[in-house]
Parts: sequence; structure tokens; C-alpha cells
Amino acid sequence: MKTLVLGLGNPILSDDGVGVRIAERLQGKVDQREVTVVEASLAGLSILDLLTGYDRAIIVDAIQTVGGKVGQVYRLSRDVLDTTRHAASPHDIDAGTALELGSKLGLPLPTEMVIFGVEVADVVTFSEECTPEVREAIPICVDMIVQELSGTPDAYGDDGAKRD
Amino acid sequence: MRELFYCAHMLHSHIAHFYALAAPDFVVGPTADPAQRNILGVIDKVGLQVGGEVIKHRAYAQDIQATIAGKATHPVGGLPGGMSKAIKEEEREDFEEKAKSLVEFGKLGLKLFDDLVLANKEYLDLITGGVYTMKSYYMGLVDENNKVNFYDGDVRVVDPEGKEVAKFKPGDYLEYIAEHTEPWSYLKFPFLKKVGWNGFTEGKESGVYRVSPLARLNAADGMATPLAQAEYERMYRTLGGKPVHATLAFHWARLIEVVYAAERLLELCQDGEITDPNVRTIPTATPDEGVGIVEAPRGTLIHHYQTDDRGIVSAVNLIVATVHNNPAMHMSIKKAAQGLIKKGQEVTEGLLNMVEMAFRAYDPCMACATHTLPGHMPLEVVIYNSKGEVVQTLSRNVG
Repeated sequence: MKTLVLGLGNPILSDDGVGVRIAERLQGKVDQREVTVVEASLAGLSILDLLTGYDRAIIVDAIQTVGGKVGQVYRLSRDVLDTTRHAASPHDIDAGTALELGSKLGLPLPTEMVIFGVEVADVVTFSEECTPEVREAIPICVDMIVQELSGTPDAYGDDGAKRD
Repeated sequence: MRELFYCAHMLHSHIAHFYALAAPDFVVGPTADPAQRNILGVIDKVGLQVGGEVIKHRAYAQDIQATIAGKATHPVGGLPGGMSKAIKEEEREDFEEKAKSLVEFGKLGLKLFDDLVLANKEYLDLITGGVYTMKSYYMGLVDENNKVNFYDGDVRVVDPEGKEVAKFKPGDYLEYIAEHTEPWSYLKFPFLKKVGWNGFTEGKESGVYRVSPLARLNAADGMATPLAQAEYERMYRTLGGKPVHATLAFHWARLIEVVYAAERLLELCQDGEITDPNVRTIPTATPDEGVGIVEAPRGTLIHHYQTDDRGIVSAVNLIVATVHNNPAMHMSIKKAAQGLIKKGQEVTEGLLNMVEMAFRAYDPCMACATHTLPGHMPLEVVIYNSKGEVVQTLSRNVG
């Protein structure tokens, strides 16, 4: 099964880069015959370009939720993109619409998709470092993705808590 | 090489803007349900095959950019003195095939515009109607023959009657452009220095000017490639001559530029020197100041840098297309709101969208213009009665 692990974010905007940092750490930890790890600072239609041709996709990105605890890692499904139809810029469309477009046009998009979101604090300060609690979440999320790839996603709950 | 890359960049951007952002208003309808008034609704109307062509050709443009410069978005191939690597012959052959397909796709886009927009009297009236019209000066980059060029040349400015009033080298831009400020906006309001700032007004006495695909076509004497030139002539014939002041015609001009970019891309692919392995001359002097001007998809883009004796940047001035258009955008939105909202008429979401169409034509980037980070797209319309009391407020993503 051709799998893409896509780490998204802006690596010079503090916590916004957490997805990219996680993808960097995964580079040496996956079976490169089956899994491609990509770091990208892209959104919208460009996500379609990246996902086309893979059977499974794991996307990791920063997330901010109302009342969320910084550093928490969520395991989310593709449906979550339909609840937040905000485009990253006026020249693009949101990811949910882009994927719907791809499906409509019959593009070979992944049939399985999991999204890992890391609750972050700061996405507006220029820095190549994540904030402390987000930095602590990086190895947890890396491990969650490794478990997902090896077929044991239940090692963690959807809220990022490790199960015994 | 850079111009070839740049044509591909224009193509991906214009294709994405027209089909994803502009077309829904015309193809699905300006007051249609927002759940349909998007690229998915456009595909429902034009069909899956056309939809597939849109995605395929946008991807071609992205592929060409990525091959030349490492990445399509955030390219890394440009270096002082040239490019990081040459184009291989097999890459050139691939680009040539893609360019030919892009030319055909460009023609398809204009045919769709004819069939779905120009053939619809209601839409043609919308384009040519007074609500979306503004008589301004126009600015764009031209080559030595005064034809539109995205990458290099002189900056040319024409007045609201189409007469050339300025033509200057990039380094002289500060003699022609000044920036007005208002306390209620981070964004500056550029104007033509020699005309002066006379408020948010139209016409020859106002220094307000516009950039954009339409502004480029207005400021030039034609297009440098044959198919685009024929379409340029057809647009002006249809809309009553030059210059065209109809803001919604920005979209038509955008489609003509798709054809030009594809034709120019093909020309450059077929240039014998394009695969020359010598792609960089390493600079020997430390720069102290430089001004670069290109035509971004949305209009004229000015970058001005000053450096210290180590070559480290000490000062930067950027005037991006959305900044040039800032005064005009405000005026367009106000004119649309005042023209469309009538006493006693309910202000609906559809009406709000028709006001927003005046803004969307500029394909604006507020993040680029304010040099801040992107967020939501807020829009608020407040209607006052003659006593200054708020009668109705309609808003989205505000607060």
C-alpha cells in the first residue's frame, strides 16, 4: 500500500511548523519502500497535487481549537476538514473542497486518510523553534504515526493519550 | 529560463483564480446558494471532462516550475547571477508538450467564457454596467514594442482615455509613485505623483491608478503572441474600444493572459538557448541598491532593496499589486454597494456576494499587501438611513 506521510506547516512561524518538524523526525523511522515522507508549506489545491497517486495518507499539522490544551495530539478523520471551510489565502480553496474536487474528477486519491493535529499556542511569531509544550508533543506524535504505520493505531487514543 | 518559469507561474495562478474563484459567480450565478457557488458547482455546470482539464493543466504549470526551480510554491532555484541548474533536453521536450497543451487549454477557457458568460445578456450587462465600472489610470510592464511582458521591460502608465502619460525604468519608480496613508488602515494608498492625491475619486484629475490583467492590456499596445493578440483585439472590439474600465473584465483579460503565457512558454521552450548549461554568472561586486519590477498575476510588483557594505539588506520597500489597487478596491466596493443596495430592498447574502465580486476581481492578497499573516475573509455591509442610523448590518467572519 503506497503511503504518504505529509507534514504541513510554515517552519519559520513557531508552532505552525510542528507538522514539518514531525515529518523531519520520521524520515529515518519509516520503511521507505512503502512510505514517502514529505514536508510541505502548502494548502488547498496544492494538497491535491501531493496526495494524488497514494493509497493511504497521514497528514500532520498544527491545530487550534476552542479550549484546547496546548501540546495535545488528536487523531482525526478526513471528515473533520468539512467542519472548517477556511481557505489559507484568497487565491486558493480550502483543503476539504480541494479533496472533494479531486474525488469528483476521479483523481486517484488515498482511500484511507488520517490526520494528526497538534494543539499549538503560537502561529504568528517568527521563529524556527516550537514553543516548549509543542516541542514535547513532537516525539509523542512521531510515535503515534509510527504505530499507525505499523498497524497498531490503538496504542494511543484519539486524544493522544497512550493506552496500556 | 526565469521568464519560462514565470510564464508557468502566471498560468497556475490565473487558472486557479479563474476557475476556482471567479467562475462560480458567472457560471453558477452571482446570487446562487453559496453551497453551490464554488468550484464544485462550476464542475457540475461545465462537466467533469472540463474540470479534469483544469486540474491537469494547472498541474502542468506546477510541474514546469518545480522542475526548473525545485519547488512550484517557494521555488529555490533563483540565485544571484542566474539559476541553480540548467534545463535538460528531456525536460525541455516535456515542457514543450505541456506548453502546446496549455495553449489549447487557454483557447478552451476563452470559449467557455464566450459560451457561459458573454452569451448571457445578464452577465454581459453586469460586466459593462456602471456599478462595476471605474475610470482610472492603468499601469503595466511593456517590452520595447509596448507589448505586455510579465518579466521585464519598462513600466508604462496610461490615462483614463488610454493616452501614455509615463514610461519609466524600474529604478525611477519613486519619481512616479507616492503613497497616501489613512488612519483606519495598515495598507497604504499609492497614487501617481504627477497627478496628485485628490481623494478616492475617479477620472483624469485623480492620481488613482490600477494594475491587473486588464490594466496590463490597457497600458500596452498589444500582446506579443498571435493568438493572444487576436483575443485582445476581440475583447476591445466587444467592449467598445480602449481603454476598458469594466472591473469585471479583469477576468476576461486574465483568460487572454493565459493564452499569452502559454504561447510565450512554448516560444521559450523552442528557443535553442534554453538548454544552455551556462546558467549563472557569479557576481563579483557587492550590491548596494536594487529595484526589481515584474508583473505578478495580480499586477505590477515592485521590490526595492538597499544593502550595507557586506551586502546585507538594510532597507526594503515592497509595493505589491494589492497595494497599488488599494484605493481602487475601496472605490469599487463602495460603488457596487451604493449601486446595488436600494431603498426598501432586502439585503441578502446574494447581494453581499455581488458587492464582494467588485473586490474579488482584483484577486487581492491582503496578507501580501499588509505584510501580515492570512486569516479569515471578513466582509461587512452596514446600511444607514438619511439620519445616519444603522438600518441593517450584514456580515461574515467579522469579530
